[in-house]
This record gives sequence, structure tokens and C-alpha cells, in this order.
Amino acid sequence: MRLVALDETAIRHGLSLGQTVSDARAQLPELEVREIDQELTQALFADFADWHSYASPLVVALTDMAPYGDLVLDITGVTHLFSGEEQMLATVTARLKQLGFTAIGAIASTIGAAWALVHSGRSEIVSASLAEALANLPVASLRLADHQIARLTQTGFKTIGQLYSRDRKSLQSRFGDSLLLRLDQALGRLEEPIEPRIPVAELFMERRFADPIGLMDDVLMCAHDLAVSLSCRLEAAGQGAKTFHLFLYRVDHKVMTFSVNAGRATRDPNHIGRLFSYRAERLEGEYDAGFGIDMIRLAASSVCEIDARQIGVFEQDDGAQTLDRLYDLMASRLGPLAVLRPYFVNSYIPERIVNLEPVLIATEPDPDSYPDTATPRPLRLLVTPEPIGVIAEVPDGPPASMVWRRVGYRFIKASGPERIAAEWWSGRQLPALTEASLTLAATEDAAHLYFDEARTIRDYYVAEDNGGRRFWIFRVGLYVADTRPAWFMHGFFA
Amino acid sequence: MQGLSKQETLATLRARIETLEKRPLLAGASSAPAADTPDRFVLPSSTMHEIFTDAPRNAGATLGFSLAATRGLLSANRPVVLYLQLAGETAETGLPYAPGFLSFGIDPDAVILIRVETIVQLLWAAEEALACHAVAAVIADICSDPKAMDFTASRRLGMRATEAGGTFLLLRYGLGRTATAARLRWHIMPEISGEKAYDAKAPGDSRWRLKLEKGLWRGKPNEEWLLSWTGNGFDILPLPDTDRAPAAAPLPRALPSPMGHRLSQTA
Repeated sequence: MRLVALDETAIRHGLSLGQTVSDARAQLPELEVREIDQELTQALFADFADWHSYASPLVVALTDMAPYGDLVLDITGVTHLFSGEEQMLATVTARLKQLGFTAIGAIASTIGAAWALVHSGRSEIVSASLAEALANLPVASLRLADHQIARLTQTGFKTIGQLYSRDRKSLQSRFGDSLLLRLDQALGRLEEPIEPRIPVAELFMERRFADPIGLMDDVLMCAHDLAVSLSCRLEAAGQGAKTFHLFLYRVDHKVMTFSVNAGRATRDPNHIGRLFSYRAERLEGEYDAGFGIDMIRLAASSVCEIDARQIGVFEQDDGAQTLDRLYDLMASRLGPLAVLRPYFVNSYIPERIVNLEPVLIATEPDPDSYPDTATPRPLRLLVTPEPIGVIAEVPDGPPASMVWRRVGYRFIKASGPERIAAEWWSGRQLPALTEASLTLAATEDAAHLYFDEARTIRDYYVAEDNGGRRFWIFRVGLYVADTRPAWFMHGFFA
Repeated sequence: MQGLSKQETLATLRARIETLEKRPLLAGASSAPAADTPDRFVLPSSTMHEIFTDAPRNAGATLGFSLAATRGLLSANRPVVLYLQLAGETAETGLPYAPGFLSFGIDPDAVILIRVETIVQLLWAAEEALACHAVAAVIADICSDPKAMDFTASRRLGMRATEAGGTFLLLRYGLGRTATAARLRWHIMPEISGEKAYDAKAPGDSRWRLKLEKGLWRGKPNEEWLLSWTGNGFDILPLPDTDRAPAAAPLPRALPSPMGHRLSQTA
């Protein structure tokens, strides 16, 4: 167990990060130690990192070295907003200090170099050569594992600069691959990909408030205003967007994000505003203004070209656009999984042939998978077939009566059977219908189940009772020896 | 007013309400009604229908009838039928199954399923959909008898349907009838299907026994039909048991005016 965070008193008593707990206790017996809740601190730190997107859209919380994260901002192209790099660094760190954090920052052209500077306690801006700036820093600032650092110092490598002239192959064999990786990353020879916490928006508009706001209505009004200015920019560029994100920056360093999707690219501010107001009616505790919101940003992603269209007098409106808007609104209020359209899959298994897909995901229909119209198919399908008790006059014959949901039905007409077997190409994922087959599937070899016809074949019947109700029922398996196949109810006809 | 009898007072009041309620209807009555001849069965559009059946086990029959009836409402500028269902009731009545729509001549792409969690969401979605001018019909399937689905809610939906020209079909189950503002209320029971060619034992064309429980259709109340689906439309069959004694003469009451559906009729 090691120390990962210290307060000022502890530092004054000479404790250091990375020290073992027993060591620290020996040095300072009255030391109070708490175990770190890594998940919680990481989540809190991530929230905190998100809040920094006020300064730059590309924010990363690096978790490979620190116990909860190192905050990395990609400030390419944003420094002019803070009138220069020095000013920006000063503003960001000053803001953190104001909040009571001990923060140190550095600006360099690679993450590795900035990390090295910060972890050697230097708040610098490297504009000249990276190699020079790093030459005098200790090897410990290279994001290496403890044993690697220990071996490096044992061998006599004190500073990063000493490594430059050494033979790379011998370094690799003695200290591991990661030394070269970290060195190259720090010096900018190797690119270090980062994954931004918040997806980078291509276009955004923001508004800052002198006094924080808290009411959802105010937020929505502001979102609408931002949508108007965003749509002006989109229109000037001849573009529209399919996804819109609303970022609410709270005074106490949290960011709330709401996203809405549109089925087709749009730039209509009224539509965007309505989508957000409907989204706001579906809140489940994710909106909490806390002490107030001091900045709102509306961002558009999935931007694509849309052309302005001339509306003709004699043009027939096919309603497609109106419908897309309706689906957008419904999806934003009811959730994207509430508005569904059938999508056919190339399969013979009745419950697999049609998938319900969110309307917003416009999948191209596959003409091959269109169902066959020759065989009767019910209008309603039970999601899970229900076991029924059936009496058939002869084995393998059509059913004569059944008991379903504790009510008896007597059949007067029936057609069938229509035999549907498991597909040989997906035989290993058989739909397990009975308790018995479920346990069998768990215990027996799957290959055995695959070849076992008695458990995979379904015989479907359309059976009509004396009240005119028509049901789609099926029998699993065959009459073999003394086993009685199970019957299930699967759907209703008109 | 003292000189007038009670009946006369009622008649004057009715006439006044009628003139008051005429105005919004005329504003929205631009769509020509579908060809409605006595030998064809066409469900009136731009209004609210309530379709009752006795138990959820007849759910197939009501959905089949609704789809068959909405087929004629689909057009180039109203290409879609919305089906609304509470997510909790899927286990009871099942999900609408797209391959089966083909037997009613409905393109599976024309049916959009909306699954909602609560009845309030369902009512909201129904109203929003009815206000949309590109939706041919909205079918709301409600198994339970929720409180929120009351007279006020149904009145709202009915007015939306009339304004925007959509058709609203409310599928209900059970024997109880609550007060709703539906213009027409139908009672549907499945009927033993027709003969299938070359196979006497197999089920043939779907048939329904339909009864108008509330409202006037073609100027007549309480009519009964036996309908059969032919693949292209409804076929009206003669009712089998015509020897039943005629029902007792209904209680004398004021006949609803032609604008009667605009009046606030309760059950």
C-alpha cells in the first residue's frame, strides 16, 4: 500500500507520494490514512475534467499513471481566446487555485513533455526544442513504472538527457519497450493518440452569464437563442446537423450534457428548440442546477451539407419531412427506443425474421429478407411463446383443443403443419423454449443439441376455435418413443 | 323562457351549441370524404372511433379489423399508420408482427410502432401524432382501464383528429364502458371464418361481427354487420340469425343533428 495523495501538513513533515504506508507510519506515527475509492475519485475527476471544456474542446483525463487522473487539454488553436499561452496557463491554474486546489500546469507540444515538466514541479511553457527542455529533468518524470526508474537510477541514468545518446537497442533490452515508447512520446517522435472525454463538436455556440441561472425554462430559452445563432452559421455554410448537444457548465465544476438526434439533417432553430424542450420533459434526475449554471454551449455534430430547396406551387408533399420531424419529437420525449419500425432479417425463425429498430437509425432495407407471403403469418406475435396444454386427436395431427391462460378452447378448423426447423448455419444458437431444454443446453454439448431434431423442429398450426379466434400454435419436437412434445402459443390472427 | 316547454328549451339550446361548434369544423373540413356507398363498408375518417372487444384474447381480431379499415386511409401524402402500445402490455397482447400485415395489404414500412411506458406518454404521443398532417391513422391499444384515459382526454384526441384530418382508433377490451367523446363506438367479435377453397378444414377469410354501439352512421344507430376480408376490402355478408325478435322500441329521445358528433355525447 502506497500513498497517493497528501495534504500540506503531511508534506511539511517530509512524507512523499509513492511512499509505502508502513514507512510513512514509522516516520509519522499520528498519520491518518484513508483508503482511496478509486472509482469514485476517477468519476469525480472525470466530471471535473469535463468542466474544463470551457477552455478547450479537447479534454482528456489520463488515468495510466495517476491514481485518479491527469488533466490534459489540447489547446491547439484556442490560445488566442485567452490572449496567448502564458495568459491561458495563468488563467486556468489561477481559476483552480481560487477554488482551493493545488494545481500546477505546463504547456508543451507533447503530452509526455508537459507531464514531465509538471511532475518535476516546473510550470513552464516549452516553445523551443523539446529535447533541450527535457534534458535536465529526472528520468522519473518519463511516466515509467517504479522498477524501471529504480533500475535506471541504479545504472546511473539520472536525467532524461543522458538517454539521448545511448544505443536504443540496448536501452530496450535492458529497461523494456516502454522506456523507448515513453521517451519517443515525450520527444514527439511518436504520436500519442488521445480520446477526448466529450465528443468534439464541429460547430458550437456558447453563452456565458454574469449571474448563474438555474431554471430549466431559462436554460431552454437560452438553448433556443443559441439554436438561432447556430442555424445562421449553418445556413451560411450551407450545412445542417443531425445531432445536437447542450452542455451546461455548472458553477461548481460539473457539466451536464443533453443530446438530441434528428432523423434528417436540420438547421431549423424552432425544431432544435422543441427537441430540447421535449428532451427536458424526460429528465430523470440528470438535471440538477446545483449552485447555478454559468455557461451554456450548444454544439452540433454529424454536420453535413444540405441545400436550400425551392418549394414549388404544384409540388406534391409526400409528408416525409413532416413525419421525420414527428419521429424526432417523439424520440426526444419518449426516448429513442420508443419509436420503432420493423426491419426484416433474412431468417426463417418467426421471432427473428423481424427486428424492431429505432426510426432514427435509417437502415437500408434488404430486399432479400422480405418475408414470404405464401405462408400465413399472424398479426400479433407473443414475445415469448407461452406453454399450452393441447389435445390432438392423433399424434402428429392438428390440435383438437387447448388450455391457454387457464381457459379452454375447442378448435373447429386447423391448417398445418408448417414445419420450421433451426437454421443449419445458426444451429448453435437455438431458441431454448422449455425449462428442460434450457437446462439441457447448459449441461450437454452444444453440438449434440444442434443435431437433435427432436428439440429443434417446430410444427406450426393455424387453429380456429368455435368463437372464430385464430391462433398460431406450435409443437416442438417429434413424437419419439414415449416423449410428449410440448405445445406453445405464439401469435394471433385476425 | 317560462312559456316554453322543457323539450323546446332543450332544442333551442342544442341548436345554439350546434352553430357554435360548426365553425372550427368547417375550417378543417377540406378533405373530401371517401366514397361511401351502402354496398361498401368504409370507416369514416377524420374522427375518433372506439373499438371494443370482450377480452384481450380477441386482440387479433380488433387489430386485423383496424388495419383493414385504415388501409383505405393511406394515401400518398398520408403514408403512415402509427400503432401505440404500452410497453407493459406487450406480454398480454403481443407485439404487432410485420409479416402478418401483408395479408391485409399493408406495407410493413407503413406501420410505425410506438412503445411508451405510461398512459400519459401514450396520450401525449397520440395527440402529437394526430396533429401531424402526414399520419393517416393512429391506433392506440390499451388493455387496462387507466384513469387518465377519461372523457377530457378522449375529447382532446377527438378534436385533434377532426382538426388535422387524421383518424383515431382506440382499441379497448372488456365489458365495461367508460364515458368517452368518441364519435362512434364499435363492438367487434371474431366470427367463424369463411370457406377455404379445396380445404374445408382450414380457416378461410377473416370475418368479424361488428355492432355500432354509439353514434350514428349513415343516419342509423345500433346497426350490425357481418364483415369478411377479401384481400382488397370488406365484403358485407348477410347476418345469419335474422329471425331474432326486434329489440324493444328505444326510449324516445331527441335525434342528434347532422353535427351530432360535435356534441359532447357521453356513453
